[in-house]
Amino acid sequence: MKILDPSPKMNRRSFVKNVLNGTIAGSLYLVWPMGGDSLEIPEQIPGIRDTAYDIHNQAFVFIVDITRCIGCGSCCVADKREYNVPDGNYRTWVERYVKGFSDQIYVDCPNGGLDGYQHPRTDIDEDIRDTFFVPKLCNMCREAPCVQVCPVGATFISPDGFVLVDEKRCVGCAYCIQACPYSVRFLNPVTRVVEKCTWCYHRVRKGLLPACVEVCPTGARKFGSMRDDTSEVYNILKGPGVLTVLKKEMGTWPALYYKGARREVV
Amino acid sequence: MKLSYRLRLLIVLISLGVLTGGGLLLKHLLLPDSFGVYGPYRANAIAEAALVPIRHGTNASCFKCHAYEAGIHKTGRHQTISCEFCHGTYMDHVENGRKIGTLPVKREKQITTLCLRCHNTEIKARSELVIKTVAMPNHLADQNVKLTHNCNQCHHVHAPLKYIIRAKQMTRWTEAGR
Amino acid sequence: MDAVNGTATMLISNYVFPNDLHVHWSMMIVLYPYITGLVDGAFIIAALYYLFDIKSLKPLARFSLLFALAFLCCATLPLLLHLGRPERNLNMLLTPSPSSAMAGFGYIYAVSMGVLVFIVLFVYRPDLVVLRDTSKGLLKLLYRAITFDSRDLSTYSLALDRKIIRFLVGIGIPIAAVLHGYVGFIFGGVKAIPTWSTPLMPVIFLFSACLSGISAIILAYIVIRKITGRSIDSDCIKTCIKTLTLFFILAFAFEMLEVFSHSYLKSGYHHMVEGLLNGPLASSFWLWQVKICSVIPLVILGVMAFFRMGRAMYHFWAAVVSAILLLQVLIMRWNVVIGGQLMSKSARGYTEFHPQWFDKEGILAVIIVMAIPFMILFVLSRIFPFWTPDNETTVT
Repeated sequence: MKILDPSPKMNRRSFVKNVLNGTIAGSLYLVWPMGGDSLEIPEQIPGIRDTAYDIHNQAFVFIVDITRCIGCGSCCVADKREYNVPDGNYRTWVERYVKGFSDQIYVDCPNGGLDGYQHPRTDIDEDIRDTFFVPKLCNMCREAPCVQVCPVGATFISPDGFVLVDEKRCVGCAYCIQACPYSVRFLNPVTRVVEKCTWCYHRVRKGLLPACVEVCPTGARKFGSMRDDTSEVYNILKGPGVLTVLKKEMGTWPALYYKGARREVV
Repeated sequence: MKLSYRLRLLIVLISLGVLTGGGLLLKHLLLPDSFGVYGPYRANAIAEAALVPIRHGTNASCFKCHAYEAGIHKTGRHQTISCEFCHGTYMDHVENGRKIGTLPVKREKQITTLCLRCHNTEIKARSELVIKTVAMPNHLADQNVKLTHNCNQCHHVHAPLKYIIRAKQMTRWTEAGR
Repeated sequence: MDAVNGTATMLISNYVFPNDLHVHWSMMIVLYPYITGLVDGAFIIAALYYLFDIKSLKPLARFSLLFALAFLCCATLPLLLHLGRPERNLNMLLTPSPSSAMAGFGYIYAVSMGVLVFIVLFVYRPDLVVLRDTSKGLLKLLYRAITFDSRDLSTYSLALDRKIIRFLVGIGIPIAAVLHGYVGFIFGGVKAIPTWSTPLMPVIFLFSACLSGISAIILAYIVIRKITGRSIDSDCIKTCIKTLTLFFILAFAFEMLEVFSHSYLKSGYHHMVEGLLNGPLASSFWLWQVKICSVIPLVILGVMAFFRMGRAMYHFWAAVVSAILLLQVLIMRWNVVIGGQLMSKSARGYTEFHPQWFDKEGILAVIIVMAIPFMILFVLSRIFPFWTPDNETTVT
C-alpha cells in the first residue's frame, strides 16, 4: 500500500473540519487502495505514482490519430469490458466514413464497432474516393455544456481537467445528454444515472493508460501528460502537425484532439 | 383570541419568513460532504472516481506469470496487441495474486475471424503503413495452401512471422529465388 | 459542417450516433411545459381582472385562479416520473448549480406556488368567512386555518385585502412569466440541438403558454357552465377571445419567424432543421400544428372578430377554437421537445420515437397525469366555490 497526497487538496480549514465531522474517512485519502494488483503493474504514465498528485497542476491530453485507426474495434471491446457497459450504450465507439467521388459521405457504426468491421459496405453505388475510421469518445471540453447544464452539480470538471459524473448525486434528468454536442453520454439502464467516458480516470490516477489506449494495436489512440516532456502527446502537440477538434463552432474547447480528421468528420 | 386582522397577517408573514429561513438553514445543513471545495460539486466524487478498481491490466501484468508466451509475444510483429483483447480481462483471471478463472483461448475459425478484424484488405481504410492486410481467400491460393486453412496453421498468433521466417531459413528459400 | 457542396438530402445520409437512438426526453417533458403553460395562461386572465381592472373578466377571475392552482400542483409530477432517480429530486433544491438553467426551477416553482396560494386565500376570504360559519367538523377547521382564524370583514380589512391582492398579482405576473419563459430557456439553452438553441424559444413558450391557458379557461368555463346548466357570460367570453386572439397571433408569428429565419439564414445545422420539418415532423408540424391547428383557428377567430353572430353561435365557436388551440400548443410542445431530439447530433440522420402505452412515461401515464389536475380542481371546488352568485344575472 502506498500513501498518497491527501488530495483533493482542500484548504486546511475545510480539510480539518471535514475530518472532525468524520465526513472524510481517513483511509480514503491517506491510503490509496489501488484495486486488485494494480500497483504491481509497471507504471505507464510517468510521474503519477512517485510524486504527490497535484490535482491543480495536471494537463492530460488525448489524441486520436485517424490515419492509424484500422477499425478493429479493440478499444470498443476493452471499454465495454472495463465498465460492463450495458448493451446498446457506448462510452466509446468507432465510426466508418466512406466518401464517394460525388462528395457524398456515408457513415455507419454497426453496434458501435464492437464487432469490428468485417465486411465492406455493399450499399454504395458510386466509386469510393476515401474511407477511414473515426474513434469517438468524451471530448473533455474545457467549456463543457454538460457541466453547465447539470442542475445538481453531479457532473463537473475536476481541477485536473476531467469531466466526471458523480453517480451518487445524479438525478438522471438527462439534461446533460441533450447538451452534449458529441452524444457521448447515456443513461445507464441499470444504475439509472448518466454515464460517460472518463478517459479511464481510475486508471490514470493509478498511473495506467486508459483501457482503449492500452489495447489499441496501432497507436491510433494516444494518451499522456503534458507535464512529461518525453510523452508522445507532448511531442505531437509541440510539433507542427495539424490537429483538429470536433465541432469547433460549438465553442466547447475540447481537450481531445484528432490527427488526420477530414473536414466531414463531426 | 382577540387579535386584529392586521396582526394576524403580520404573524403569517413572519412565519413565512421563518419557514424560508428554516428551509435555507436546512439546505445548508443537508449539503453533502466536501461540496463546494473546488466548485459546486462534491470534491469526494473525484476520489471515488479514482478509486474504482481497474478491470484491464496491461500486457506486463500477464507476462509476470506467462513468461513463455511473453518471450514469443514481445519479439514478434504482434507485440503491440493487448493480451486482454483476445483473451479477456485480467480481473476475470486474477484477484489478489491468485487465479480466479480461466480465460478463453480462441480456436480455429474464431482465430481467422479475429485476424480479419484487422487484416482484411476489403476494408479499404487500412493503410499499408499501419498494417499488412490480406484478401481472403486469395491469400490462401497465392500461398498454395488449402482454402480451408486457418491463419494459425501458418502464422503463430503471437508472433505471426515466427514460423514463416524459420521456414525460410530452413529451406533457404528466398523471395528472390521464387 | 458546411453545406456549400450540397443540398440537405445529400448531407443527411441516415447516420445516427449510437447513443442518439434513444429519445431521452419523451412525453413527460412534453407535458411539463404544457402544464406550466396552462398555469401561466390561466393566471394571465386573473391578472387582467385583479391588476388591470378589466371588469368583464370578473366571472372567470376566481375560477382561473383555482384552475392555475390545480395545474400548478401537478407541474412537478411529469418531472418526477421522468427522472432516472426520482428519489433524489430534492438534490435540485439542495445543491442547485449556479450555471444550470434547470437548477432554478425548484425555487421559482416554490415562489410561484406560494404567491398563487396566497392570492387565492385573499381573493376568497370574504366567502371563506361566511362558509366557515355554515360548515362543521374538519372543514370548519380548515376554513378557520385558511382565513387566519379571523372573521374581520370590515371595510378597512377588505380594502387591505384588495391592496394585498394587487401586490401579489403584481409580483405574480413576472413570476409567472419567469416560470414559463424560463421553461422555454431550458430548451433554448441547449446549443447542441439546432431547433432549440434560439433566443426566441422563451418568447415562443411564453406566448403559447398564455394561449393554452386562456383556451383552457374558456373551454372549461363553457363546458362546466353548460353541464351544470348555468348561464354563460357573453361579455366575458368576448374579452377572453380577444385576448386569446392577441396571444395567438403573437405565438404563431414567432413560431413561424423561427422557421423562417432558420430557412433564410441557412446557417450551421440548417439542413437538419429543414430535413426534420419536411421529414419526420412533416405531418405533425406542417399539417397538424400549422395547417389544422393554426390556420383554421386563425380563420375562425377572424370570423368571430369581424362578423356579428348570435350568442350561442359565438359561444360554440369560442369553445371549438379553444379546443383546437389547446391541441395546437400540445402539438407544438411535442414538435419542439420530441422533434428536437429526433435530430441526431451526427447532423446526418434522424432517430425515431414511438410512444409506449404502459411505460413510466407512456401514454397511460400521460392520461393519468392530465387527469389529476381535474381531480384537484374538483376537490378545490368543494372548498372554494367557483362562481359568485352575481354571475347568474345574465341569462342565455
